[in-house]
Amino acid sequence: MSQTADTAHEHPSLWAESSHCRVAAVLHYGAFTALELIAPAVARRAAPGQFVMVTVPGAGFLLRRPLSLFTVRGDRVGLLVEARGSGSERLTRLEVGQSVDIAGPLGSAFPTRGVTNALLVGGGIGSAPLQFVADDLAAAGAGVTAAFGFRDFRAARAAGAFSIDRLWVATEDGSVGRAGTVLHILADLDVSSATTVYACGPTPMIAAVQHWTLAEGLHGYASLEAHMACGTGSCHGCVVDTARGKLRVCSEGPVFPLDEVRP
Amino acid sequence: MSPAQAGSVDLSVRLGPLRLEHPLLDASGTFDLLEYARRYDGDYFADFPYSAYVPKTVTADARTGNPAPRVTETPAGMINAIGLENPGIERWIAGLPEWARLRQPVIVSVGGNTPEQYAAVVAALEAHMASAPADEVPRIEGYELNVSCPNVSSGLQIGADPAATAGVVGACRPLTTRFLLAKLTPNVGDVTLIARAAVDAGADALSLVNTFKAMVLDAQTLRPFLGNRTGGLCGPAIKPIALRMVAEVAQALPGVPVVGMGGVMSGLDALEFIACGATAVAVGAANFTALEAPQRILSELRDELNARGLASPAAARGLALGA
Repeated sequence: MSQTADTAHEHPSLWAESSHCRVAAVLHYGAFTALELIAPAVARRAAPGQFVMVTVPGAGFLLRRPLSLFTVRGDRVGLLVEARGSGSERLTRLEVGQSVDIAGPLGSAFPTRGVTNALLVGGGIGSAPLQFVADDLAAAGAGVTAAFGFRDFRAARAAGAFSIDRLWVATEDGSVGRAGTVLHILADLDVSSATTVYACGPTPMIAAVQHWTLAEGLHGYASLEAHMACGTGSCHGCVVDTARGKLRVCSEGPVFPLDEVRP
Repeated sequence: MSPAQAGSVDLSVRLGPLRLEHPLLDASGTFDLLEYARRYDGDYFADFPYSAYVPKTVTADARTGNPAPRVTETPAGMINAIGLENPGIERWIAGLPEWARLRQPVIVSVGGNTPEQYAAVVAALEAHMASAPADEVPRIEGYELNVSCPNVSSGLQIGADPAATAGVVGACRPLTTRFLLAKLTPNVGDVTLIARAAVDAGADALSLVNTFKAMVLDAQTLRPFLGNRTGGLCGPAIKPIALRMVAEVAQALPGVPVVGMGGVMSGLDALEFIACGATAVAVGAANFTALEAPQRILSELRDELNARGLASPAAARGLALGA
């Protein structure tokens, strides 16, 4: 086990629980903050779509916060954070050189093997895991197109955190890119039937994308979000309705076949 | 990696008929053995950190649980309303071979809405253990009756009523010779009345406290945040109340073993419950804060005992009681 900032425990590790991961980079994009942490044990095992539980620094926080893996490059794990509550807000104020504890990688991954054409559909902070998917697919030579929707100009600045060649943006207030939601972008795309859809975003967006893929005869995957306590399958706090009954976002998910979710 | 090492502290405790390596158990519903084991690098069964395993509550019939959201953080704590989601005793029993090789004793947490539903779970398990090959069943050595479930007739928690509590314990007692715990709810005026009723009906020991009934609002809508409207509060916020209740029960019923719990985050917290009369201590919400929480808390408990020259948990038991 690597000793670089990644605590080596004296006994076998659980999901590469990593203490004191140094913050190597912090970049702010409007309402979003991109963090890069040195976490080799997490980086080594990570697959796109998985997440980590992040300890919020400071005395006032009990539960860790689930964050999707935004990027994994070398021994660095990237996270994209939107200040939603006091915990995530605190995470956006991390500075280079500080450290945080994380556990992961957790949950199911987006299947990418054999995919030649991919359409990534993201809504707001839900776009975060799709960069890792894009990197993974591009490395395998697949064609990747992305459509991301944001609320407004400030939120759309998050698009600057992504490096995806074909990235279309929509804003609900029309300030950046296409006016409307990602569905307006999808309607204009010429999508081949061999395209695999990867969606992550708010529940109404997942519902709309599911409806659209059905109409287009496409298959794909959705990453869902839920309020979590443990993040590791113990508490059953994060269940969602699926075609297979109630399933845990942290354990059976967060990635589910798109036709299986019941948004 | 044996937890007991160094110094002269002997961490082992006797909880009724159970000989435990140390005083720490998991609180039901906060620690899923198989979820840990399936992503562990080594043999998790060999490294299982608690001295006994209390799984998530099982009921006679399958339950799908409450609508989302089910959890959120609160100041110095968290609130949950899971709704006893579980596969029902039949499927639960079918899964036993998966973790039959756990070395530690298992205390099965049982839920229900009527005495008959609790009894059905205990009866099903006793029947299974009488017939199943030994290597396909874990060491089930006790039951913890979770009487915080709503009573089907009144809607109130069973554990808020001495007679209803006695009814549940009394229905299960004749069905088993194994260690029988009643897990008490703190949502009562005088917890000792319920404690006494449970013991008089045949409980060997008591565990307390379960969560405090509470409510959190959505700051935007000012509507209840949880899908179930209300939930159970746990975490450090409740520890002082839990300590008081454990002390009251230990004082009122000397000789009845108590498993204390409520916001245990550190070894000192665990020691405080022991000082209030607990024989063993359960760790709940702390399991959600770090995967290594039980190992850390145990090692801190050893240090806390050592630092005070206390040779064992028993030497600390009840130090907070009396004049």
